[in-house]
Amino acid sequence: MKRLKQIKLNKLNLTLNSLMKVSAVALTLVGGAVQAKSMAIINATVYTVASQGVLEQATVIIDQGKITEIYSKQNTPENIQADETIDAKGRILTPGFIGTMNALGLVEVGAVARTQDGSDDKADITFDASLAFNPKSTLIAYTRKGGITSNIVAPNGGDKLFAGQTFAVDLSGEFTSIIEKQNAVLVYLGSESKGSRAQRLQALDHKFADAQKVLAKQANKKDDKDKEAKEPKRDEQVINALLAGDKPLLAYADRATDLLALLALKKKYGLDLILVSASDAVLVVDEIAAANVPVILSSIENLPSSFDSLHASLTNMATLAKAGVKVILAPKGGAHNLNQLRFDAGIAVANGLPKADALSALTANVADVFKLNSGRIVVGKNADLVLWSADPFELSTKVDSMWINGIQVSTKSRQDALRDRYTGKTNMPRAYSK
Amino acid sequence: MNKTPMKLSLVVAAVSLSLTACLPNEKQDAKVTINKNPFPSTYKVLPQQNILFTNATVLIGTGERLDNADVLIMDGKIKQVGIDLTATDVKTIDAQGKWITPGIIDVHSHLGVYPSPGVESHADGNEMTSPNTSEVWAEHSIWPQDPGFQAARAGGITTLQILPGSANLFGGRGVTLRNVPSHTMQGMKFIDAPYGLKMACGENPKRVYGKRKQTPSTRMGNVAGYRAAWTEATEYKRAWNKYDSDYVAGKNPQAPVRDLELDTLMGVLDGEILIHNHCYKAEEMVVMIDIGKEFNYHSGTFHHGIEAYKIADKLAENANCVAMWPDWWGFKMEAYDMIEENVAMVDAVRNSCAIVHSDSSTTIQRLNQEAGKVLYRANDNGFNLKAEDAIKWITANAAKSLGINDKTGSLEAGKNADVVLWNSNPFSVYAQAEQVFVDGAKVYDRFDEKYQAKSDFMLGQE
Repeated sequence: MKRLKQIKLNKLNLTLNSLMKVSAVALTLVGGAVQAKSMAIINATVYTVASQGVLEQATVIIDQGKITEIYSKQNTPENIQADETIDAKGRILTPGFIGTMNALGLVEVGAVARTQDGSDDKADITFDASLAFNPKSTLIAYTRKGGITSNIVAPNGGDKLFAGQTFAVDLSGEFTSIIEKQNAVLVYLGSESKGSRAQRLQALDHKFADAQKVLAKQANKKDDKDKEAKEPKRDEQVINALLAGDKPLLAYADRATDLLALLALKKKYGLDLILVSASDAVLVVDEIAAANVPVILSSIENLPSSFDSLHASLTNMATLAKAGVKVILAPKGGAHNLNQLRFDAGIAVANGLPKADALSALTANVADVFKLNSGRIVVGKNADLVLWSADPFELSTKVDSMWINGIQVSTKSRQDALRDRYTGKTNMPRAYSK
Repeated sequence: MNKTPMKLSLVVAAVSLSLTACLPNEKQDAKVTINKNPFPSTYKVLPQQNILFTNATVLIGTGERLDNADVLIMDGKIKQVGIDLTATDVKTIDAQGKWITPGIIDVHSHLGVYPSPGVESHADGNEMTSPNTSEVWAEHSIWPQDPGFQAARAGGITTLQILPGSANLFGGRGVTLRNVPSHTMQGMKFIDAPYGLKMACGENPKRVYGKRKQTPSTRMGNVAGYRAAWTEATEYKRAWNKYDSDYVAGKNPQAPVRDLELDTLMGVLDGEILIHNHCYKAEEMVVMIDIGKEFNYHSGTFHHGIEAYKIADKLAENANCVAMWPDWWGFKMEAYDMIEENVAMVDAVRNSCAIVHSDSSTTIQRLNQEAGKVLYRANDNGFNLKAEDAIKWITANAAKSLGINDKTGSLEAGKNADVVLWNSNPFSVYAQAEQVFVDGAKVYDRFDEKYQAKSDFMLGQE
């Protein structure tokens, strides 16, 4: 019965194709990496990560790189209009996962300095590492195996107080990958091998206080001419954006006193604060929840790796989520094994985090915090979608198909080529197997 | 306390007297022997229980799986595994829906020597002062209060080898521990487990010493360093053998001067100490196999064998175990050619010995899931592996690598009752160890705080 319906749909699509072509051509001229054909994913178990929850036997229509329709089983029309139809056969469709806090595209081999573009001694608050992003890095296809369709790339910065700014990319592997440059400012706080943690906290406070003073002076000037006279320097502009709440401040810190100090700064200056790592967050969970501050943390960090993180635990993520804190899953390692985030989500679930919250921590929460038009299966969102062979968090599951901006992308990586070379049968040296 | 140095100096004086008086055909001096176990284990089994686990899915560790099976442990040993077992005077644990495996073994850990918290005061894992530090023993750096031991126990780890780091060509001796809480290293030491010798190929030694403008600064410098050391060790062994045979012949020979570095290398040449070689690349592993043949020792287990899949046949042919990560890669050039099927490809060859190891205080807590990743990725790509195969990578094969497979690593009758009771298939991401037994003694229980140890360090922290 279902098969018949599909054939019917395909026939219909043929006639629709000619109509679609016009807009498709127009799109390619404008967009570049935008799909030309519309597509229907039918018979999917859709995890919308939105008010619709989980829809069984649902249909998702993609057109021009966006999700254009979502039909629950009951509401699915008889004739679906799409160029291509994919039968999900009941499998799970989720929004593409979104990585955070790693150097994907800024590093190829960790110990090869010339493949490292995430840090620079001179890097300051204006540091825009997106200029160095390499969409052709072999890490990107490998990362797609984890169902990751976009990522917040974080530089390591240099000697300065601020480590630079993060940026958002998709994992299409195309030169058009960068979604947004300089979308948040990074600062690393906490214990110091030389000196006191107080120094950085104080410096941070002074930066904002000084900038506020300048702004106030500016505002008090009566003459409009005077106001325009002096354009703020580049670094001042960034600080002003933080003060205006236009740009989030991503602060790495673990000890509870540091977290509280940051919450105080948020209150004092009206910052859009995001905490990262935050091992002690469970000690001040009520304060964090009350301040409505999201926390980006690893779900598998459970050892007291320093005196700052004596409260690291496998259950922290569940505790924070339960208290109403918006949590985001951070990778424990670097960019190379970013694709394991889904397993970290599974471990969080095994340690008390509801599955729906774990999914949000990889999708909607990241999109909300970094203002991305993805992370949910909702009409109008980017068609960043993953169709899974089974439960996305389970080790035995793999990506069946995935799409970024509505275009299907492969999960084949250099690792697959190496495997195939050394598993194939040949009488010749392996170098001839390509 | 004050008397000890006095006593020592007296002994030294006596020895030097006897040496100067040494002449052929005279009365023999006391035989000089090397104490091979100067830091003996004081491990005591925790209170044992005789238990019959019923109706579990049992992975034996030998490649066998039994469904709805029972496991009987008595007096610290595996008594029997089978269907519908009966026993009297035992505690019965209903394991319906649960899985039982042998205790998990990690052949590569730095717990205790690079403990948490990672403070400089406790960074005792690598004596980075000379390319050959065969004289150092990892056991002398172990801080038994590392909270990582407890975390690993909660992940089913019952036995683990603690190794020195990889900055040196010869990093020193590794030690195999029972994962039981103790406030001394000796209290954890696996009785009668052979020592390991940590070696390292590739980037680390040449980088560390090359930066100091000393040898080795290249891979060929590395190899020259290994060969020079084995040449010296061969002479040292010859000197001791000659001393022993002369003594047996009734002569009164002078014993060779003790050298702690060469003692360790001689232990390898004598087959008493097993090599554990940090070696990523195919071409380097094959060179190391040849060096073993050149100096007549076995090249042992290769650790972090990222490229082992390229030479799986050679490794099996030479009976090398290979300990691997499922997917760590890219942190160094020598870790660039990772493939997720590496372990499975090594395992696929007859007489192979594929192992999944951690080298991490994080992944040691879920070595079952590390093995699971290999199992499923391999099966995604043409392999047909099962849970009963994958369990070997973290139990029986690991035990073989450590030279303790006669004692642990499988649920065969007569072996130590090192047992993990899992809440589900251990190769699921949601799997958790519920109860862990070492020598038939419960050392961890997820639902009973009484069996959840806490290190001194974590006590009283707020």
